[in-house]
Amino acid sequence: MFEAKLENAALLKKIVESIKDLVTDAPFDCSENAMCLQAMDSSHVALVSLKLEVGLFDTYRCDRTINLGISLKNMSNALKCANNDDGCMIKYEENEGDSITFTFTDTKRDKTQDVTVKMMDIDGEHLGIPDQDYAIVCEMPAAEFQKTCKDLAMFSDSLNITATKSGIVFSGKGDSGGINVTYAPNSNADDEKESVSLEVNEPVNVNFSIKYMNSFTKATTLSSRVRISLSNDVPIVIEYPIEEAGYLRFYLAPKIDDEDNME
Amino acid sequence: MGIKGLSQVIADHAPAAIKTIKYEENFGRKVAVDASMCLYQFLIAGRQQDGTQLQSESGDVTSHLMGMFYRTIRMVANGIKPVYVFDGKPPDMKSGELVKRSERRAEAEKALAEAKEKGEVADVDKFERRLVTKEQNEEVKKLLTLMGVPVVEAPCEAEAQCAALVKSGKVYATATEDMDALTFGSSILLRNIVAAESKKLDVKEFNLKRVLEGMKLEMSEFVDFCILLGCDYCSTIRGIGPKKAYELIQQHRSIDAILENIDIKKYPPPEEWPYARARELFQSPEVQPAEDVQLVWKDPDTEGVIAFMCGEKSFNEERIRSSLAKLQKSRQGGTQFRIDSFFAAAKIVKSEPTTAAKKRKLEEEASKKGKGKGADKKRGPPIKKAK
Repeated sequence: MFEAKLENAALLKKIVESIKDLVTDAPFDCSENAMCLQAMDSSHVALVSLKLEVGLFDTYRCDRTINLGISLKNMSNALKCANNDDGCMIKYEENEGDSITFTFTDTKRDKTQDVTVKMMDIDGEHLGIPDQDYAIVCEMPAAEFQKTCKDLAMFSDSLNITATKSGIVFSGKGDSGGINVTYAPNSNADDEKESVSLEVNEPVNVNFSIKYMNSFTKATTLSSRVRISLSNDVPIVIEYPIEEAGYLRFYLAPKIDDEDNME
Repeated sequence: MGIKGLSQVIADHAPAAIKTIKYEENFGRKVAVDASMCLYQFLIAGRQQDGTQLQSESGDVTSHLMGMFYRTIRMVANGIKPVYVFDGKPPDMKSGELVKRSERRAEAEKALAEAKEKGEVADVDKFERRLVTKEQNEEVKKLLTLMGVPVVEAPCEAEAQCAALVKSGKVYATATEDMDALTFGSSILLRNIVAAESKKLDVKEFNLKRVLEGMKLEMSEFVDFCILLGCDYCSTIRGIGPKKAYELIQQHRSIDAILENIDIKKYPPPEEWPYARARELFQSPEVQPAEDVQLVWKDPDTEGVIAFMCGEKSFNEERIRSSLAKLQKSRQGGTQFRIDSFFAAAKIVKSEPTTAAKKRKLEEEASKKGKGKGADKKRGPPIKKAK
């Protein structure tokens, strides 16, 4: 059996809302230490990786490693029934049919809601993501990154990122015009939350689809900060930390000028 | 016709080798398309409802151009990079070794009619499909070249050339409906890639390595098994169907050993059966070495396409232009790579089976047992119905 309780439903709501347009069905890997999820979008360009460690839950019980398949649309519907500050219990019992029960408790009104969601069969491949050192690691306010992506999308389908020791530049160029957004690292800024930090091991110049970036930034509600890690010619990582006990990461494959066989 | 009943045998014995995937999931993949089979579909199988074909003002048939143009656009717009491979000369099996052509043609026509009724794409006989004229082939090559899509001319069989490209890693898969692409050694075969969008068919991916694992066969044994099932190059032993063929190959591991061990009176092999030659055609076919094949995707020559399609072949200019715009757009801003080309699959995840899935599995097992019994009872040739 699997049983885990979150202090409030808001966290799960935010997570599901930020990934449900990218991934339709999700296999939740539940183990002794954490509840995880890995899934690709339908064209296998982006990958979502979620980890919620035991520390995030009020109570957590998982008797054996178990994989729960669920449609994110159905899960989103279930979560819509909850208020943000309702308690949220997730429960799965092997012998009680094919569903997962979400119990939302509203202590102010002494109200509980049991919502069940049918499970689904999911067969998929789990990708092995190697630990690697990135050429650039940049941290900035999540809302700032969201605005930049949104602004760029008005001009272009593609986002170009270049970074050197002197700063990181996001740029887009289209038929109607172009935009360059430059951040010079200001780790000395007074307000730590507003600062933009930049670690540079090597300069980079990479292109990505702006459409996917914009989709990722829906997770801005989860965290005040975002961490962007990238190297030339490998997938970029956009990470939203979750209360220091978990994360929601998005990996996006780059666009590469394939000069050998594209003229 | 490819290999008779092979897809069913794979579904029965190696279900893990078949994956149903969405069309979009093939994003960013390079695929070798068996052009000759596509043309056959467009020209022979793809007639209009009244049985006529699309024609230009001067009365030339244009179904092949129409088909090739729009299906290619669909692939490219979905991020697939096609390479078209055309048949060269037919394999040189002496005429005496070939099965009677007339018999085959009748069979092919029947199969075609059946498939059409079911709304499926017909498996096409390797000899039958050479009915597409040389001119039609040349016109399509011209169109594809103008569209910037690479064209490869196989010295002999297109399927074999596709397989060579897949084996070398130049492309991800062979896109065809003919199952013998696997017999030629394509590691991955994709079905329904060239299907019309309106049919909304999911793509079926066959993985050769998993086929061999599931069927517990070595590649050479698999080739012999395919010949037993029935291929385009020679006939089969009478009375041996898929089930018996599977049993025999598991037991004896080659056609030679099977012939030494079976009761020849009960299962008479064809006279002067050229199975060894067929095997050779599958195992070492005449192909251009993949290293010598240059695959270059170029910008489409929009005006060239317009001049050819609209000027010579009286297609609607507006439609052709808007489709070409799609082709052009997909080439902008570099190539979007797939995430799974960076991170390798580490393991297969299976979610907790629901009761429906458990039930299905039980039923499958039960029906397999049932099938076995039924087949045992029904030995002997089927009774012919009187007219």
